[in-house]
Amino acid sequence: MRCSIFSCIASRLGRSIAAGARRGLPRLAGAGIALLALTAGPVQADSVTLLPARAFGYFLGDLVRVEADIRLDPGFALVPAALPQPHKVNGYLDLIRVDLSPGPLTADGSSYRLTMVYQNFYGALEPRAMEIPAVPLRATNGEAPRDLLVPAFVFTAAPFRELVPSRGGNPMALRPDILPRPYPLRPEIEAITVAALVGTLALLALALLQGWRPFTRSQRPFATALRALAPLAAAPTDVPAYRAGLITLHRAFDAAAGHRLLADDVAAWCRHDPRYSDLSSEIAGFFTTSRRAFFGAEPAAAMEALPTADLLALARRLAHAERRDPRPRPPAAALAAEGAP
Amino acid sequence: MTALTRWRTRRWLRMLALVILAGAAAVVTHQAIRLITHMRDNRTILGLAAGRDLAVADDAAPRLLFARAHFLMTHDQLNDAQHVVDVITRSDDTAMAAAALYDLGNTRLARAIDLLERMAVDAAIPEIRLAKENYRATLRHAPSLWDAKYNLDIALRLIRDFPEIERELEEEPRQTPKRLWTDLPGLPKGLP
Repeated sequence: MRCSIFSCIASRLGRSIAAGARRGLPRLAGAGIALLALTAGPVQADSVTLLPARAFGYFLGDLVRVEADIRLDPGFALVPAALPQPHKVNGYLDLIRVDLSPGPLTADGSSYRLTMVYQNFYGALEPRAMEIPAVPLRATNGEAPRDLLVPAFVFTAAPFRELVPSRGGNPMALRPDILPRPYPLRPEIEAITVAALVGTLALLALALLQGWRPFTRSQRPFATALRALAPLAAAPTDVPAYRAGLITLHRAFDAAAGHRLLADDVAAWCRHDPRYSDLSSEIAGFFTTSRRAFFGAEPAAAMEALPTADLLALARRLAHAERRDPRPRPPAAALAAEGAP
Repeated sequence: MTALTRWRTRRWLRMLALVILAGAAAVVTHQAIRLITHMRDNRTILGLAAGRDLAVADDAAPRLLFARAHFLMTHDQLNDAQHVVDVITRSDDTAMAAAALYDLGNTRLARAIDLLERMAVDAAIPEIRLAKENYRATLRHAPSLWDAKYNLDIALRLIRDFPEIERELEEEPRQTPKRLWTDLPGLPKGLP
């Protein structure tokens, strides 16, 4: 560094004086503005600031996003009609999208976030600074319009291929066409497969819930018993066959109740499964007859009390009742409780 | 669990199963119709690709129209192709619109380069300009389509029309006091 002692001192002195002036200046300016505010009404504090954005490395066709924060004095609003519309700005720049949204600063006055998306169509031969021109805006409070300006934005456009191919090759060789392709059928086939699977599962569940054959979960013991008792109709006076028929129906009762059903349990079971409650007296009669037939050792008398035809009729009615929807009736006690709060 | 709650649960499950069943049936029906339509369209697309001149209505699906446009381009019927491409760009299928515009630009640029090789410069210039417009429209639909950027770059180097910038470029060297690049090593300075 070639610098004489005097010039060094002089330059340092100059710098310190300048620094002092810089420190003092804002205070002075602030006082000036305050004075102006007192004399000339509210100060115009509108501001348009560009948000930091990447300003380099834009290729042909790339999108350049320019965002600006706009802050207006209280009572002022942007004039929508004065906003820029998508258009061809010049030979190498298109404005393709403009979005206006409420800004982040909303303490006082109104603020906006203006987003403008440009597309660069400059075919650069070498990296080169390109300017997006300043965009005029207009704000108004209903009386006095005010003009604002979104500052110009400079970005560097860059080439992506050599000026002259250094390794030979035809510089005019075009990239190939996009060829028409048939629809891919896979998504539809997959959707159909999945939906069909789900549908089948739902159908299976429905079959189980509705008790459709052969998916019925609970067998129908009375219907089975009725089929087993059918030969009895041909021999209504055959005592051993009658006894066997009684046993068959007992097994059906056991199966329907889920446990061995005795005479004393009948009333409780009829309440529990209301499909059979209409038949409770006949069922009780059957159990009485059965007791007489097996423990009273007088099957003939039992056959008189409950003839074969009546036995078959009972089996038929039971088989019919079991097909019904097992909707229970609310217990009488519960109804009484609801009726008398 | 009382019999009443069990019955309610069963009724609820039955409703659920019915709803799922109906939904699945609707999906299967809808997708099956789509599948059949696509299979029929695919036959046309493959037929056009094989070089058969199959007609396609203007209200057909963009993919089908693109196949037709490509057939017309490869069979030297650019005016008809332009019409079909216009129809595609009016649809909301941006991928098909970009592809159709790109292929149209390619066809025009290839034709222009062919003309240039035969020294028919006057005939080539309008083709290059149209190709540039096609590529520009392509990139508007698909800004990241690199093949379109590349081919547009070729077209832009054939005819450079950036009047406002190129003028600046010419003026700049005169304003600079020293032509630095002439001192760079490795650059030819002319004949010895």
